[in-house]
Amino acid sequence: MTIFYFTLKRSFANLANLIFLTAAPIACIFLPAGEGWPPLAYGYAYFGIVILFVAIRLAQIMMEDRVKGILKRLSVAPVRYFSYLGQHLLAYAVILILQSAVVVLGGWIAGQELHRPWALFALYVSFSFAALAMALAWISVFRSKDAAFLFYMSLIVLAALLGGIILPLEIFPDLLRRIAVILPTFWFAEGLKSIASAQPFADNVRINATLCLYALVFLVLGSTRRMQ
Amino acid sequence: MTLASMQSVLKRYGSCAALDYIDLEIHEGEIVGLLGPNGAGKTTLIQALTGILPVDQGRISLFGDSRNPFSDANKQKLGLVTQEIAVFEELTAKEGLEFFAGIYGLRREEKKKRVAEALEFVGLSAYANKVPHKFSGGMKRRLNIACALTHRPRLLIMDEPTVGIDPQSRNHILESVQKLREQGTTILYTTHCMEEVQEIASRVVILDQGQVVKEGTVQQLIETVRHEETIIFDVADPLGIPLRQVESIAGVSQVSVSGSRITVISAAGAGNLDRILSVVQQHSGVLGIQADKPNLEDVFLTLTGKQLRDREGSR
Ligand SMILES: Nc1ncnc2c1ncn2[C@@H]1O[C@H](COP(=O)(O)OP(=O)(O)OP(=O)(O)O)[C@@H](O)[C@H]1O
Ligand SMILES: [Mg+2]
Repeated sequence: MTIFYFTLKRSFANLANLIFLTAAPIACIFLPAGEGWPPLAYGYAYFGIVILFVAIRLAQIMMEDRVKGILKRLSVAPVRYFSYLGQHLLAYAVILILQSAVVVLGGWIAGQELHRPWALFALYVSFSFAALAMALAWISVFRSKDAAFLFYMSLIVLAALLGGIILPLEIFPDLLRRIAVILPTFWFAEGLKSIASAQPFADNVRINATLCLYALVFLVLGSTRRMQ
Repeated sequence: MTLASMQSVLKRYGSCAALDYIDLEIHEGEIVGLLGPNGAGKTTLIQALTGILPVDQGRISLFGDSRNPFSDANKQKLGLVTQEIAVFEELTAKEGLEFFAGIYGLRREEKKKRVAEALEFVGLSAYANKVPHKFSGGMKRRLNIACALTHRPRLLIMDEPTVGIDPQSRNHILESVQKLREQGTTILYTTHCMEEVQEIASRVVILDQGQVVKEGTVQQLIETVRHEETIIFDVADPLGIPLRQVESIAGVSQVSVSGSRITVISAAGAGNLDRILSVVQQHSGVLGIQADKPNLEDVFLTLTGKQLRDREGSR
């Protein structure tokens, strides 16, 4: 588990990451609730954006390994590429799951109305998996770290907007709303709605399963392209 | 014993053969100097030999195994110093080395010991807890080397480990390489610098345009040009010299320009110095003349028609 351990270490090594991994989720806990929208307090919708952002920041570590030639070093060492990839993804997943736990637990302690904290936690975790897989697929097609990051940032904002995380979907024209269904961010927003309006348990499961399916598809896309 | 070998290895990029049917053997205890100008195919050769790059044709064998040369057991005995500096910028020098020691299966005390050893070896002990972000180019290069040492490879492959660094770091690296050999490590050392090869290599392989153009000990290679001599003119107007005319003088085999120097290779004892001089003088002032014993540089020039370092003026 050498790779896993050092991936955790590297994830927290630079200041910008440290702030995003700690300050952003904490800020999410304390944002106020809106009037009628979003379904939970603002921070609990915006945390979806934090997840997307953190996922790409973390995945960039792997991109750096590829660009700088560290992957070449690893490919002459007795380690499999899939072990490298697996241990990285595991480390990232652990970080994102911990963040989700902090946000849900923190909100519960701070007295936010979370309706069903467990379902909320599950939603964050599924969405984290989808976000990680998307980030992986994204970096696998780019050669420059900065280009990959900037471009992805704009996509995140756009997807969050069209998916209904930043603004209620109802204000968009019908066509856009129909397109939104293909975005993972749409399912994230759906999940929040479902939790807030006490939909049956099966509804939550369906939404989480959809997000995990996204995760799977992007994981396959991102990992079949060997990053040499 | 032969630790690594290539037999008629071909690697193409599009229509250009980066490795053009290469044959190569590395024997235990050698420092093989792989010498070639930019783009000769040195890195490609190393990547093929270490399994990073699949080849189009040919046979590669490591530690006597040609059926599965890149097995984990073989990888465990192999060390690679990459041409690009591949170290972790955000980890301290020590942590970075612990990572590499760890993936080679070293644990706890053993790992600590080997990491400390490797740092000591490249002279970075004092910087163990600093991040390479702030290191000088030479220090990064040294760390880059240390990353390949913690598992004590039997065969160490170094791709231009001294490129772009200060003379002090360079001497340190050259000494380290020799020390490694004394400790029993076999080394393939890639460079485009003559002096380095002359200093440390027990055997030299000259690579140009994807082909091995010559190999042997430094002495053997120099033997091949023994019957030649090199005359270097320092001139005021190097571009004014009609190179073709100089080349046509009996005995002259090569003429090249580099900066203000005209290098003429001629058969030894041809007695043509006065004729060469008069042609040169007709077209430019001559500031100095120097006749050299043949060295590796001349071997290279004779073999490839190129000067290894200052190639901008060669014809
Ligand atoms: N990925 C690639 N795609 C296409 N051509 C390549 C690629 N890599 C190398 N080449 C070509 O193969 C030839 C050999 O390149 P290589 O990098 O092995 O040379 P080198 O001897 O290591 O040079 P240098 O001293 O610059 O490191 C060059 O002509 C180069 O342009
Ligand atoms: Mg090279």
